[in-house]
Amino acid sequence: MNEKIKVVVLACGQALPEPQGLRDSLAGAGLAARVVAEPCSSKIEVYQLLRILAREADMVWMIGCPETACQYLEGSSRMSKRVAYAQNYLIELNLEPQRLGMSIIAPGDAGVLKGVIAQIAEMAQVLGPLAFHAAGLAAKESTQ
Amino acid sequence: MIVGTRKALAEIQGMVSGYDRILLAGCDTCVAECAAGGKKEVAEMAAALQLLFCQAGQSKDIREVSVDRQCIHEFLLDVVAAAEQADAVVSLACGAGVQALASLLPHTPVFPGLNTLFIGETAQRGLWLENCRGCGDCVLGDTAGICPVSRCAKVLSNGPCGGAKEGLCEINISLKLDPPAPCAWLQIYDRLKALDQLDRLMVMRPPKDWSKAHSSGPRRVVRPDQQA
Repeated sequence: MNEKIKVVVLACGQALPEPQGLRDSLAGAGLAARVVAEPCSSKIEVYQLLRILAREADMVWMIGCPETACQYLEGSSRMSKRVAYAQNYLIELNLEPQRLGMSIIAPGDAGVLKGVIAQIAEMAQVLGPLAFHAAGLAAKESTQ
Repeated sequence: MIVGTRKALAEIQGMVSGYDRILLAGCDTCVAECAAGGKKEVAEMAAALQLLFCQAGQSKDIREVSVDRQCIHEFLLDVVAAAEQADAVVSLACGAGVQALASLLPHTPVFPGLNTLFIGETAQRGLWLENCRGCGDCVLGDTAGICPVSRCAKVLSNGPCGGAKEGLCEINISLKLDPPAPCAWLQIYDRLKALDQLDRLMVMRPPKDWSKAHSSGPRRVVRPDQQA
């Protein structure tokens, strides 16, 4: 079942300077993964998290720096608040809030990254694909 | 600034579930400032409704548009144009914006995406406070710029009720507000004292003339010099 689960990871470029390695590791764990490098986790908005879930992913994961190490000072604290806010949307939608997750990684900490990969893979196993994605239904791209 | 909050998704779903092409219209002034109805919130609601309808096995064409103000007809032209491709519109403006838009779309249903709450100010990041009820009879000149109509829970006109404790309004006991609501009349006293104008408190104000508020029906302002 795992190969059907798609995970999109939005990662701070400082916390995860080599996103390709994470993508390969998640693929190795049987997940369809896309890793997006972000300048800072604070740049990720709630609507982006929801939109990714609506259009393509079964899980979205954010990676940021430790709060005290954020080069934009408030980025990591904003990330955790936004994830919590977006999770409330999922609760309102009767979806598992764990479909939006986050991790803190100090730049270059391979040990923590390994644990994060295991955590994402395990959560994906538990949650499975979104039912409507499995049924081939995805949101159309909104137009402005 | 008009402050509002988003309606529950289920309520919005109930309003628009019968329509296939739905336009979400944001307002980028007041309700954007209170993070309820601006461009970002339109995108949020679009994605959330997409999730909601996908879960229900429905595919909807949800479009987004946002303008600077929905309460001014000239600003609504972009929304009106976008609505030509929609079966229904959800406006994330205040109630005035929703009605202005509805008046320009006689053949398209327009639904509110927000609950409009009050005229207020941004007190700090993520905190908006009510400080004007549009009573039509402003007393701020007598009360040191602090409104007892909106900020005193009992709307008292001549001083505090006696229920305040440690400078805080007694509504904090039951509502457990964070941050707590101060006693507006204590604030008025402190500010008048700082301004050396405590004598203003010695003037007894008569019962408030609520006919200038909403008790005489919908209010209007007419300015012939501004009319076409």
